[in-house]
Amino acid sequence: MAERSGPRFHHISSAVVSALPAHVEAVLASIGEMPDTEIHRVENGKIVIVLEGATAGILGDRLAAIGLLDGVLSANMVFEQIADLDDLGVEP
Amino acid sequence: MTLSRREMLKAQAASVAAVAANMSVPAEAQPVAGGVDALQISWSKAPCRFCGTGCGVMVGVKDGKVIATHGDTKAEVNRGMNCIKGYFLSKIMYGEDRLTQPLLRKKNGVYAKDGEFTPISWEEAFDTMAAKAKQVLKDKGPTALGMFGSGQWTIWEGYSATKLMRAGFRSNNLDPNARHCMASAAYAFMRTFGMDEPMGVYDDIEATDAFVLWGSNMAEMHPILWTRVADRRLGHPHVKVAVLSTFTNRSADLADIPIVFKPGTDLAILNYIANHIITTGRVNKDFVGRHTTFVKGATEIGYGLRPDDPREVKARKAADPAATTPIDFEAYAAFVKDYTLEKVSALSGVEPGFLEQLAELYADPKRKVVSFWTMGFNQHVRGVWANQLVYNIHLLTGKISEPGNSPFSLTGQPSACGTAREVGTFAHRLPADTTVVNPEHRKRAEEIWRVPAGLIPEKPGFHAVEQDRMLRDGKLNFYWIQVNNNLQAAPNSSNETYLGYRNPENFIVVSDAYPTVTALAADLILPTAMWVEKEGAYGNAERRTHFWHQLVRAPGEARSDLWQQIEFSKRFTTDEVWPANILDANPNYRGKTLYEVLYRNGNVDRYGLSELDPAYENAEAKAFGFYVQKGLFEEYATFGRGHGHDLAPFDTYHQVRGLRWPVVNGKETLWRYREGFDPFVTPGAGVEFYGNKDGKARIIAVPYEPPAESPDAEFDLWLVTGRVLEHWHSGSMTMRVPELFRAFPGARCFMHPEDARARGLNQGAEVRIVSRRGEMRTRVEIRGRNRMPPGVVFVPWFDASQLINKTTLDATDPISKQTDFKKCAVRIVGVSA
Repeated sequence: MAERSGPRFHHISSAVVSALPAHVEAVLASIGEMPDTEIHRVENGKIVIVLEGATAGILGDRLAAIGLLDGVLSANMVFEQIADLDDLGVEP
Repeated sequence: MTLSRREMLKAQAASVAAVAANMSVPAEAQPVAGGVDALQISWSKAPCRFCGTGCGVMVGVKDGKVIATHGDTKAEVNRGMNCIKGYFLSKIMYGEDRLTQPLLRKKNGVYAKDGEFTPISWEEAFDTMAAKAKQVLKDKGPTALGMFGSGQWTIWEGYSATKLMRAGFRSNNLDPNARHCMASAAYAFMRTFGMDEPMGVYDDIEATDAFVLWGSNMAEMHPILWTRVADRRLGHPHVKVAVLSTFTNRSADLADIPIVFKPGTDLAILNYIANHIITTGRVNKDFVGRHTTFVKGATEIGYGLRPDDPREVKARKAADPAATTPIDFEAYAAFVKDYTLEKVSALSGVEPGFLEQLAELYADPKRKVVSFWTMGFNQHVRGVWANQLVYNIHLLTGKISEPGNSPFSLTGQPSACGTAREVGTFAHRLPADTTVVNPEHRKRAEEIWRVPAGLIPEKPGFHAVEQDRMLRDGKLNFYWIQVNNNLQAAPNSSNETYLGYRNPENFIVVSDAYPTVTALAADLILPTAMWVEKEGAYGNAERRTHFWHQLVRAPGEARSDLWQQIEFSKRFTTDEVWPANILDANPNYRGKTLYEVLYRNGNVDRYGLSELDPAYENAEAKAFGFYVQKGLFEEYATFGRGHGHDLAPFDTYHQVRGLRWPVVNGKETLWRYREGFDPFVTPGAGVEFYGNKDGKARIIAVPYEPPAESPDAEFDLWLVTGRVLEHWHSGSMTMRVPELFRAFPGARCFMHPEDARARGLNQGAEVRIVSRRGEMRTRVEIRGRNRMPPGVVFVPWFDASQLINKTTLDATDPISKQTDFKKCAVRIVGVSA
């Protein structure tokens, strides 16, 4: 996404993952092992996650990997914040 | 700021996602706008540049560059979601090899077919083009001049092209690449309903009880719609999903009824379902009696190959493949009676139990059904039949034109519907479902265009595959390609397309943003502005017309296709291109340029620069001195208003997230042909298929007929081509996004492990895929996302370094002239190290 994503910026993006009910636990476990990825809500096979990283590329790669997990039906990005690291108080 | 702001931003992002996913949201986590304000990004709406779903995105611009995009939460289609391709939209315009100036093949300072690409000015580019076009017109006439456009053209670019070609140059040799992707769907709509495009909308997804996918891998090709389908299925246990394909793909993961059938036998399965509905007494007799009539289609209609191909010589009805004769219900019932469960199960290789369950989804009067299809149906030597056969079963049961009951043809390009079909850029079409073969339609177009009567030629031009053949044969000599990559997309490309482009008799112009294989095979390359570098409009698969503003400037000297067409029109006078008898009868048109008669016609140039939104740039309007997009759109809209193709006023579309036509009194239409939803239905009729004069839809009796080429001892495998999630079509945009490239860097040949083992091949082994037409090298994939049945291989076509279309067969549906990219015979041999 952002071209201007040098060290000063930090991307926070949410995504919706749909998974077959029988696979939800396994998918949650796999996502749980990923860095900078939090699970926020789970309902009817729908999983809302929040991904963080220095560039959109890192986030996209991670979403693509989630999309290929067994039992995942779809994985789509929703909302992205591009925040100034200084503003966030995050270690770059 | 502190960590708490970071946590707040994360909570906010999560809550937006929860809303998008239709989940309950605690009150304290309602989404709030902003968060990126600090970066001073200015945000504007646009439809996504990729597929026909038509998702809305917000485009963030800073310092004259698109730096970010995200799903538009106000867009009904995607409700804020973005698939992985859409997520990287902001990067498609910034590939390192973006074309920024015209390039002409030159030797010793002058044009030469075998010369090297040399940067030139636009002036020299148009001078050279015009000289070539004029020579061709003088030597051979208008039928030697042609243009190949696209379902990625904006609405006004397609409209301008159809005017320029048909009324300007008097040539109907205008066809879109949409011929390769949904011509079969369009013909079937016309033959069944007398009007193009679906009666339903995406809202059907949330209203239905069953989904049937016929040759459509929505999980990868329409991921946002698939998310809505999955949501409906998982949230409502009674909902069923059937997925039919010639191999097991990602969509099958959600299937209650997974069906892998032998290539081409979908025709027999469809007739079996009709037979099942009839023999189990579930025909909706009231609906069928009031709203349908029956016809029988011509059979043995050939395969659209070159006329001297033995298969064409043998085909009894190749000359008139579209012929039909009226029959009645009894004759139709007798016709489909042959398609018994036992017979169809044996032919298709599908277990009888699955076939029965599938048929019951349609037959059960209590169950609403949505049928989705894409290229599996359309890229089919009997694609028009396949489309019509699915309408048959929706019509027999009356499951059509109401929420949740919907036969729905999905599209692959962002404006396959809005531009290629609605504007009429096919070789036989005029705007709003009118055609060049109808004298009344031509007359009306000439009146709206304010050009002399008798100007538009009545004979349809060459369709896509025929254009390549005519180029090769030296009968089409001046050829302009815009917004598509046909050398990568067209079938049998090394024997037809490539030889056509490089034929010394021909002059080939390609307008593109990137040096595609097609551009590199041209004689002149024109650098093109893309997507939000110009003001635009697309029409998606559910009849939604969606506008955007120009948000950034194109790099270097790149200019939009619209600017290129209009600027080129200035190089011709009517005396050079129109016949003497027409000018004798209309002397006031003498000596005018095509620019004056087509664009400065008192209609297109009606809106001045004062009508522009001052917040946005508009390169074309400023170049020509009037609001050219608005003038073209309003003139075009004249064709459809009052005829069921009604479009809203131009300015409205810049305010809304698209509207689904017909838009009547400011209201969009969700379900066509149904009283209460569609204002064009006669009160009291209930349902009226008003595209046909009798108000009724056609149910057609047509049989299963075999594909043009099937595996044999020498070429023993079926080849199916298609796409993958990460790349869009020929990959000219997505392969330039590093993250998407990395995710799927090169084509692979998906193959059954036993087929690989039998040939001594391991996972990743290098192989040659060989057909009667040509060959390609790739690597074997026996794992991965597609699981092949024995005897069938799948190869995606996005990879310019692996051109699978060197091997495909240029067989088409004889009615729609759309290529069958899903069925030809190949053999696979290992490449020894």
